[in-house]
Amino acid sequence: MSSNMASSSAGSGDSSAARKNSKRPKYSKFTQQELPACKPILTPGWVISTFLIVSVIFIPLGVISLFASQDVVEIVDRYDNDCIPAPARTNKVAFIQGAAPKSCNRTLTVTKRMKQPIYVYYQLENFYQNHRRYVKSRSDSQLRSPKFENQISACKPEDDAGGKPIVPCGLIAWSLFNDTYTLSRNNTPLAVNKKGIAWKSDKEHKFGNKVFPKNFQKGNLTGGATLNPDIPLSEQEDLIVWMRTAALPTFRKLYGKIETDLENGDTIQVTLQNNYNTYSFSGKKKLVLSTTSWLGGKNDFLGIAYLTVGGICFFLALAFTIMYLVKPRRLGDPSYLSWNRNPGGGR
Amino acid sequence: MDKPPPHHESISSRWSFSSKDKEVTFADLGSKRIRHGSAGADSEMLSMSQKEIRDEDARLIYINDPDRTNETFDFTGNSIKTAKYSVFTFLPRNLFEQFHRVAYVYFLVIAVLNQLPQLAVFGRGASIMPLAFVLLVSAIKDAYEDFRRHRSDRVENNRLALVFEDNEFKEKQWKYIRVGEVIKVVSNQTLPCDMVLLATSDPTGVVYVQTTNLDGESNLKTRYAKQETLQKATDLETFDGFIKCEKPNRNIYGFQANMEIDGRRLSLGPSNIILRGCELKNTEWALGVVVYAGSETKAMLNNSGAPSKRSRLETRMNLEIILLSLFLIALCTTAAATAAVWLRTHRDDLDTILFYRRKDYSVRPEGKNHNYYGWGWEIFFTFFMAVIVYQIMIPISLYISMELVRIGQAYFMTRDDLMYDESSNSSFQCRALNINEDLGQIKYLFSDKTGTLTDNKMEFQCACIGGVDYSGREPAEIDGVTLKPKMRVRVDPSLLQLTRNNKATEEAKRANEFFLSLAACNTIVPIVTNTSDPNVKLVDYQGESPDEQALVYAAAAYGFLLIERTSGHIVINVRGEMQRFNVLGLHEFDSDRKRMSVILGCPDTSVKLFVKGADSSMFSVMDEESYGDVIEATKKQLHAYSSDGLRTLVVGMRKLNDTEFEQWHASFEAASTALIGRAGLLRKVAGNIETKLRIVGATAIEDKLQRGVPEAIESLRIAGIKVWVLTGDKQETAISIGFSSRLLTRNMRQIVINSNSLDSCRRSLEEANASVASDDEESVALIIDGTSLIYVLDNDLEDVLFQVACKSSAVLCCRVAPFQKAGIVALVKNRTSDMTLAIGDGANDVSMIQMADVGVGISGQEGRQAVMASDFAMGQFRFLVPLLLVHGHWNYQRMGYMILYNFYRNAVFVLILFWYVLFTCYTLTTAITEWSSVLYSVVYTSFPTIVIGILDKNLGRRILLSHPQLYGVGQRAEGYSTTLFWYTMFDTVWQSAAIFFIPLFAYWGSTIDTSSLGDLWTIAAVVVVNLHLAMDVIRWNWIAHAAIWGSIVAACICVVVIDVIPTLPGYWAIFQVAKTWMFWFCLLAIVVTALLPRFAIKFLVEYYRPSDVRIAREVEKLRSFSESQQNMGTEMNQIRDPPRR
Repeated sequence: MSSNMASSSAGSGDSSAARKNSKRPKYSKFTQQELPACKPILTPGWVISTFLIVSVIFIPLGVISLFASQDVVEIVDRYDNDCIPAPARTNKVAFIQGAAPKSCNRTLTVTKRMKQPIYVYYQLENFYQNHRRYVKSRSDSQLRSPKFENQISACKPEDDAGGKPIVPCGLIAWSLFNDTYTLSRNNTPLAVNKKGIAWKSDKEHKFGNKVFPKNFQKGNLTGGATLNPDIPLSEQEDLIVWMRTAALPTFRKLYGKIETDLENGDTIQVTLQNNYNTYSFSGKKKLVLSTTSWLGGKNDFLGIAYLTVGGICFFLALAFTIMYLVKPRRLGDPSYLSWNRNPGGGR
Repeated sequence: MDKPPPHHESISSRWSFSSKDKEVTFADLGSKRIRHGSAGADSEMLSMSQKEIRDEDARLIYINDPDRTNETFDFTGNSIKTAKYSVFTFLPRNLFEQFHRVAYVYFLVIAVLNQLPQLAVFGRGASIMPLAFVLLVSAIKDAYEDFRRHRSDRVENNRLALVFEDNEFKEKQWKYIRVGEVIKVVSNQTLPCDMVLLATSDPTGVVYVQTTNLDGESNLKTRYAKQETLQKATDLETFDGFIKCEKPNRNIYGFQANMEIDGRRLSLGPSNIILRGCELKNTEWALGVVVYAGSETKAMLNNSGAPSKRSRLETRMNLEIILLSLFLIALCTTAAATAAVWLRTHRDDLDTILFYRRKDYSVRPEGKNHNYYGWGWEIFFTFFMAVIVYQIMIPISLYISMELVRIGQAYFMTRDDLMYDESSNSSFQCRALNINEDLGQIKYLFSDKTGTLTDNKMEFQCACIGGVDYSGREPAEIDGVTLKPKMRVRVDPSLLQLTRNNKATEEAKRANEFFLSLAACNTIVPIVTNTSDPNVKLVDYQGESPDEQALVYAAAAYGFLLIERTSGHIVINVRGEMQRFNVLGLHEFDSDRKRMSVILGCPDTSVKLFVKGADSSMFSVMDEESYGDVIEATKKQLHAYSSDGLRTLVVGMRKLNDTEFEQWHASFEAASTALIGRAGLLRKVAGNIETKLRIVGATAIEDKLQRGVPEAIESLRIAGIKVWVLTGDKQETAISIGFSSRLLTRNMRQIVINSNSLDSCRRSLEEANASVASDDEESVALIIDGTSLIYVLDNDLEDVLFQVACKSSAVLCCRVAPFQKAGIVALVKNRTSDMTLAIGDGANDVSMIQMADVGVGISGQEGRQAVMASDFAMGQFRFLVPLLLVHGHWNYQRMGYMILYNFYRNAVFVLILFWYVLFTCYTLTTAITEWSSVLYSVVYTSFPTIVIGILDKNLGRRILLSHPQLYGVGQRAEGYSTTLFWYTMFDTVWQSAAIFFIPLFAYWGSTIDTSSLGDLWTIAAVVVVNLHLAMDVIRWNWIAHAAIWGSIVAACICVVVIDVIPTLPGYWAIFQVAKTWMFWFCLLAIVVTALLPRFAIKFLVEYYRPSDVRIAREVEKLRSFSESQQNMGTEMNQIRDPPRR
């Protein structure tokens, strides 16, 4: 925009030519900033009806969310403490790292009819699967294709075993959950379907069907489950589920699905192998059997939140209506202008 | 009035400025030929012209011998290079320049920190991306601009000029021209370099140049070749001589050099040099020797960019930036401290904690710490990682957005129809790009008068001849004459009668003398041009002073048509009869004498002296004894004229007898050949002859107010802007202009301060202060003159003056010297934090324009110096109203909102990241992908704020113009303040909490994975942030819709794209999570909860404590339904086409 002396002297033609092409800006609604525009203002009517509409939408949504949550039947059993024999409880870490048998029996009672599919979860608490060190310790390209087997730089300290790359490498895979549950109902075995618990997209695209576990858990320290080296990663659904790291320190992971209904009063015997060491950081382990609703699991929070917000909006609508009726202000009343309120003050 | 003020402007403000005045030399009286001088009088006053140029400060130029000239010193060639870069230097130089911005350095430091393996938070690519993007965009912009400069350089360098080589003139490209070469320039050609004139087609060596490209003045200037070189130049081959001149400098009005030919020494001055960029006019050809070429020419040296000022809002903003830095440090400290506590409490288990695994056993069986450097270092690293993750707390993108927004605002300002000046065909110019928003906060306006409030188009109004006033105004009829002046002047019929009748009455004689002196006593150059009608020729008067032009046109209207002026004679067409007058002597105007005189040899062989000057300087040289009563009558008449706001001049004359003339001639010759103190001697000679004058008459010229000035001043005053007018005019003229421009009104009490001593000045100021302090009902106008200002500005009285001036509704400073203008601006600027704006058109306003916070130049008659120094340039004073009240208001409100919004927008995101740290074992994991973090402030949310920052208008221009009080919003800094900042920050905390915690609780203990939750947070943040903006948008045009909704869509697309890359951990997460109802329920709850408090409070404030803008908006909206369109139309016209005075 600064005038360039050199170029202007170059461009100086005769003045008549300059006059012909006037510098008057070409008129358009755009350049004059006069584009047609809607200019809404917050009038009491608008605001009150907005609040009313919000409350009218939110309160029913809250109610149905609560109903959805109430519909979910959930059996939660914390076993991390109970599955350690009483004498070993003084040093749980030593027990879990030791060679003693870890088998443990639990009995659950169905208090309400559960319709299939019933999801079997394990729930971990105080387990930071979102720890920075942990989430970074994986190699996604290695999981996809055998070509990238050697891409293990991010996987430390579980990158290689004796110089050979570990597949799947990294802390996440290494710490694969290895408690197992065997369920029976009223003394008859209850089938838990472990197929189809992982995301289809993960199985098909993220975990390669030509990638097989190698050197896995061969290091000096075993973190968790071992993998069958003959099954490609795309079929190792427990691993796939585990590798979807949980966002929050209290989380569930899908273990399997029960594809029959459970009746009220049924007792479920669970034989579990308590292998997984959450004791060094006082993490809790829970077994969860739960149905789901259209909204997900059992959680009243959203319903309550909706009811609260809806209620507040309704209250605000009411309050504003009363205020409007008691103390209205005429819109566009010039007497409210600062220079009209205190004459001379505008100067 | 009694005492001559230091500077006097009644003829033309320009004349009081530096070295335009020319000294007169007298040569070759025998041939009755006169040449105007060589050295600038003022420059001599600075004792320069006769001073020996020291060898080390000089350059030697051997005329027509470029080889020898460039032998010892290799002078710059004539090729110019305005381009900054070449292909090779572009990258390093451009980067170097870009990193001058602190913001970029911050960016770089963060990016470098991120490269350290211990601190690597983002992937390398992701962390460099934003910086690289910004650098790239700026580099492309710079490269394009530079490309254009290269192109214009190339065009310029390849133009052709005639250069004397091998005994003939050959065409040569400009870039090959060397110092020392002799160049021939023909009419209408542009000069390729600065050269000293050797000869011209005119036998007297006169040449006319137009300096439009240099200083914008369109009138012709005369330059002279030295007499001594005129003859010699015919035989260039044997021309032998050299020029010793000063080193290149940027003073376009100064030049000093000596020329030596044949052992004779001649001194050269600014009138002997013609400069690059000028155009040769009315002269067939000119020969000159190149003294400065290429980048050393004065034009190029003056070609500096726009001045850089920093906007007030940006300076204010720094405080909040510091606050944000403190927040940033607090967040990082919290993260580091909580991490430290966790590490300490779990220090024994770190090796076995499944998600930590400190030891790497693969190295050796006992293990080695992996990526763990001890407790202290871990805290240290955590802190810096936090800095990297939370870096956008300091909104770097804001600086870039602000620049883009300002460019956009500047575009709309320059394209504004309201600010296009038809008469000068100039649209608004934004020369400084970083102070747009300052236009919305102006509290003090300092205005020049001549050329700014007035047109500087002088119109002859009244004449007072022999004490009789002739002030009738009727259009002069043109009878079938062949010569016609270009401009018509209205004439007084009785006076016309008097001059026509040719009677020998005393009155008629006086009238004839009067108009003869008007036609003769000037430096105007008449230019006769042909018209379409072969019988009619048009006479155009070119000159440096508009006053003189007006007088010559007036004389022409009364039948005294100046036809020809050479240095030796003038030809005047007196009522159809050509009369030739020999110009025997000319004493040009200088600011000490404040008059000019000419000695004419009349056709009847008598010798007459005509003098014209300011009344203060003229009455003292009149013969009071003989003409006392006429002088009295004239004085009275003059007073009446100046009360009407007219500019007055007094004309006197004297017949010289032979002895007087001989005496004068001898002393004049002696003075003009003197080597030392020539200007002073000439002044003395002039002073000696200019005595005992007979008064002929007085002229009154109207300096017409510009269109719309009174309305504009009134609007500005209602807007709460204090208008100060600073003028060089005398008090009466200034006051009358004050009334006609509505700066002063009848009900104002005038406090006049014109004191001759410090004590009286102090007394009157203190009295004034007491009187304004005592009653605040009355509106007061302060009028102070330049002499008093000398005492005020040099002393402790400044404070008193400031207090008085603050309480006055108008301030008028008259007889102000240019340097005092800057002093007055500084006086206000140093004492208040309010914004000042200075507007002016002339070189004498430059200092004031540069001193004020905002400088506005009027691209009018007086050249382009003011424009060159200004931040904004426009054609008319009245454009200030739309500039300040409309654009200033908008820009301020837009920029203020944009800054707050950018703070909020980035802080929300940082806080979301921060809350998550509390649930990730105090490590800096981000659920939101690193690419989203990077793109958030670049793609997801930046476009709408830029669009809104450029386009949103809180009020329409009609209502802003009809209610100037609305300007107070900016003056009271309502658009941006620390209070608003804190409100915004509280809102930020709430919104970030709503965005973060609603999904957190809803998904607590569920199977949700990091990527899915991260995607939810990303989308929620983008939607909330954009809806927040949408809530505050005032005008929803299609662009705003496109920007806001488009941004949300763009963000969603980006999230999807990131999630279809299988090698990223978040593969397909968005599709998985978006098919659950939970996701949408969370999103809806977040949006409503986050924005609910803001919505409710915004409504409550706007409804129950409405701001002026809110009321005006309601008026605007409701009235557009109720009131007729026509009503508003007239209101608008009022501003667009105010009734003429």
